[in-house]
Amino acid sequence: MEHQLTTSVSSDAAGRRALIGDTKPRRKKVRKSLDDEADRGVLSEHERRRGGVRASMTGVHVVLFVGLVVAGLGPILWLAKAAVTPTQDTLQHPFELWPNGIDWANLSTAWNDVHIDQYFVNTLVIAAGSWLFQVLVATTAGYALSVLKPKYAPILNMAVLATMFIPAVVLLVPLYLTILHPPVIGTSLLNTYWAVWLPAAANAFNILLVKRFFDNLPREVFEAAKTDGAGPFRVFWSIVLPMSRPILGVVSVFAIIAAWKDFLWPLLVLPDPAVQPLSVRLPAVQSQTELDVFLAALAISTIIPVALFLIFQRLFLRSAGLGGAVKG
Amino acid sequence: MKSAAKVAIASFAALALAGTLAGCGTGSGDESGKLELRVATFPPGADQAAYDAFAVQEKQFEKLNPDIDVIGVEYEWKAPTFAAQLAGGSLPDVFTVPFTDTKTLLENGQLMDVTKEVKDLGYADKFNPIIIGEVQDDDGNIFGFPRQAYAMGLHYNRDLFTAAGLDPDQPPTTWEEVRADAKAIAEKTGKAGYATMTMGNTGGWQLTAQSISRGAEMQKDNGDGSYTSTLNNDGTKATLEYFHDLRWEDDSMGDNFLLDWGSINQEFAAGNLGMYTSGSDVYTALVRDFSMKPEQYGLTVIPTEGADAGVLGGGDIAVMSPKIDDAHKAAGVKWIDWYYMQKLLNKDAAQADAKALADSDQAVGTPVLPVLDKATYDQQQEWIKPYVNVPTDQMAGFFNGIFDQKPVGEFKGQTQPIYGLLDNVIQAVLTDENADVDALLTKADSDAQALLDGQ
Amino acid sequence: MTVTDHPPVVRDALPPEPPASVAPRRRRKRNPATWVRGGGLSNLIFLAPMLIVFTVFSWSPIVQSVIMSFQKTNLVQPATWVGLDNFERVLSDPNLGTAIVNTLYFAFLALLFGFPIPLFLAVLMSEVKRGKGLYSALAYMPVVIPPVVAVLLWKVFYDASPNGVFNTMLGWVGIPPQPWLQSAATAMPSLVIEATWAAAGGSIIIYLAALISVPPELYDAAEVDGAGIWRKVWHVTLPQLRGVLFIMLILQIIATSQVFLEPYLFTGGGPNNATLTILLLIYRYAFQNSLGGDYGEATALSLMLAIFLGLMSWAYFKLTERWSTN
Repeated sequence: MEHQLTTSVSSDAAGRRALIGDTKPRRKKVRKSLDDEADRGVLSEHERRRGGVRASMTGVHVVLFVGLVVAGLGPILWLAKAAVTPTQDTLQHPFELWPNGIDWANLSTAWNDVHIDQYFVNTLVIAAGSWLFQVLVATTAGYALSVLKPKYAPILNMAVLATMFIPAVVLLVPLYLTILHPPVIGTSLLNTYWAVWLPAAANAFNILLVKRFFDNLPREVFEAAKTDGAGPFRVFWSIVLPMSRPILGVVSVFAIIAAWKDFLWPLLVLPDPAVQPLSVRLPAVQSQTELDVFLAALAISTIIPVALFLIFQRLFLRSAGLGGAVKG
Repeated sequence: MKSAAKVAIASFAALALAGTLAGCGTGSGDESGKLELRVATFPPGADQAAYDAFAVQEKQFEKLNPDIDVIGVEYEWKAPTFAAQLAGGSLPDVFTVPFTDTKTLLENGQLMDVTKEVKDLGYADKFNPIIIGEVQDDDGNIFGFPRQAYAMGLHYNRDLFTAAGLDPDQPPTTWEEVRADAKAIAEKTGKAGYATMTMGNTGGWQLTAQSISRGAEMQKDNGDGSYTSTLNNDGTKATLEYFHDLRWEDDSMGDNFLLDWGSINQEFAAGNLGMYTSGSDVYTALVRDFSMKPEQYGLTVIPTEGADAGVLGGGDIAVMSPKIDDAHKAAGVKWIDWYYMQKLLNKDAAQADAKALADSDQAVGTPVLPVLDKATYDQQQEWIKPYVNVPTDQMAGFFNGIFDQKPVGEFKGQTQPIYGLLDNVIQAVLTDENADVDALLTKADSDAQALLDGQ
Repeated sequence: MTVTDHPPVVRDALPPEPPASVAPRRRRKRNPATWVRGGGLSNLIFLAPMLIVFTVFSWSPIVQSVIMSFQKTNLVQPATWVGLDNFERVLSDPNLGTAIVNTLYFAFLALLFGFPIPLFLAVLMSEVKRGKGLYSALAYMPVVIPPVVAVLLWKVFYDASPNGVFNTMLGWVGIPPQPWLQSAATAMPSLVIEATWAAAGGSIIIYLAALISVPPELYDAAEVDGAGIWRKVWHVTLPQLRGVLFIMLILQIIATSQVFLEPYLFTGGGPNNATLTILLLIYRYAFQNSLGGDYGEATALSLMLAIFLGLMSWAYFKLTERWSTN
């Protein structure tokens, strides 16, 4: 799992490099895991063997490990403890382990009263839809602008790029009005997931990433396919998409993280609690929920993504095993 | 190729379905042939019991009006969401707004004119004239049903009083006694003796209430549609210096100074706070939404000092959106009449309502001010007496004193934005020991005047 | 994974060859059949999703926001033209200065905490030989926690009473309790500490990935020249990272100038506007007033912020272009 974590993130970095047009040829070794012994860093083997360096590296090791556990895991562990601790114990003795016993009922109260399950499903639906639309728009547009290249492509390219210079906040009010009175459909999109999915898909950054990636794909392959009589749809589906898995991974990670983080926009366009994601719902019920139950709700909301994160990593592992087929 | 299209179509279909389902939750399709009426219920996070009580009342109403399907919608008057809902047209058909907002809303054409309906129902003359004035335009047209009014009261935690060696049946009657009791509570129990709201315009609201209790006038109505800000007055200054002393000399205000209506209620209900001021009707929410233990609750009148001193009051109004059609309007009026008004006017309705609430452990008898004339109010109190389940003897201080206090309404010009300015003043005094009260008030006053002149 | 199975970025230097079918089509007479055969229709089909979402949800709202900044509207009554009134009112709003200073302060603190710390940690972590995956996972943990949950949890940590989580910890080392969010002086640093904690993991992982691509030959060469550990870090590692560092810097400036979640959920902009940021001010203009916001003022301020951010992004593109060609 850990290997997967680091490699999947290196794809993230690759995306950023592609974005900034970093032309440096990358070392073949990158493929290997970060634990690879052959990979060297600042320290040479020789230096590692020196007593002083060795001792201080051990010290660094310990400090680093403890620091990371405290900062990375500490808050989660504390939350896990607080989730089953009565309010007064949490307030009076935040670091004592259950001076007055464990209160398991917090969890069921949070689950039943705060309806974490429902809001979590809402969050997932929002993330999945945002992801699908972002990938759909980014790949089709990237393909059209990079590979098909109609003669008006540069103008469109500029128009898309230009939106990157406009911060999202400018759009807040007019976009909100667009959701209230969308063109053609005539019925407000307020309280529907379309109001979150569709604006998320208008993401110039994704298109730029994908286009840059497509720009770098070997043209000969397309030409060969064309000579074999493949139309633009077939080239897209059977050649371009399979080759673009890495960049799709990057776009997917960005899309899902963005959907997961989004707060202000869903707060505005999903006023109905029944369709709200956790990010909007938790602050809304905070003051009406007793602290111990609220912390239990926070804990449940945390456990689920952490667990999904781990499962997601395993899935990644498996698809990476199948992923060798990309070349073929 | 085929597979590409298939996958695309399948995922689109799935998404379309999800999108439509999400939309359905709030749509107003009326398959049963009934008219769907969306009405405001409770703030998010209310008790299950509150919903149970509402369900009972909903059934009763639908039995009387078989052609109307009432749909309860979670609702809280909270500035950001209200503005968004108002603009987006996603408010329920029937909802409530505080007095402070009604003037602007009706001037903007955002409320349904119900003059004829109020007259037809026959209780137009019964309203307390000061209160009906809150929902009338210059021509006397009526735009809503005042349904509940409150006066500011001093809420206190009886358990903390006892723990601090104070007598919970002898609550403080002057601001100096409040200070002494707050200090005793802070010293003996380690909890906050006294606190006040500071955020989301509630800080200005409470600062105004406490200034008025010291005889302040926050704004002059010039009678020609213009207003003069008088925030920099002796009463407000005295209030701020009082807070400064409680906070920095006595350290009896706890550690959290970023509180709004919800969070201060939460602190109070959790037993972390000795005393605070808020509307007299907050008991209902404290017990229903914040799980307060009734036996801990105490209520008395807000102390008043000086000849001009008064008690700030307010209330809310049941209104309808001007955008709904006649059928919904008629249904909405029926609902308002039945749900909000008849229980104030009619013995059977009053008792049925009280019984429904009492049966599901909801508060009956929470102290409110009469929206109708005093005689009707006293009569109604008499009807529901058998069902009263709030600890009225713990509210004796309020019941005994409130009708001797001079009621004062909230100032009218730019109420909420000026409350927002005052939030900053109270926050500064509570979080900065060296805050300059005079400078803060001078600045707030000129900013307020700029707001008033900008209209 | 598959990222490195083919070298996508190497070919950047070559000018992309135009598809063969494009050039001859230009001269041909326009008629629908040749247009379809020449790929015009499939071009449009592939462009359609982008054209639709960008037109409806990006381009036209941008135009609309420019229009609205010259109008007064509360969405109920018809909009009226007010010229530059909105801009004048925003610029004369005493809160604007506060919001700008606060936002700059946030950005400054965020750079102070959020820039060197992840870099330092990443360099240290890259020297770890075993269990680097575990280290990365630990560092990344805070990123997995939903941001709203993180803020709400930290709000509990920041309890200003002596029994608060952080104050208890300070007590262990003899530091008196701090007011955290409850004082104008400490509120902003408290927000930044949480924001740094929440974001550091992502930066660390990016730096780690960049560190891997530092060619080992450079270290070997430096050692031949007799460089010690610190000199290698200074003269090899950091220069090799400068591209990534620069991008991260600009991205962070762009992100911090739009900070909203932390001040909104932690303090609501208080105490006494100490954490009022530009975005929070825009939000207040548009959505805080229960009686229908001042959308004109909100869009006017948004536009002004957009111009600043536009300049930043432009500088970012220009400079990255220069970095990558050097």
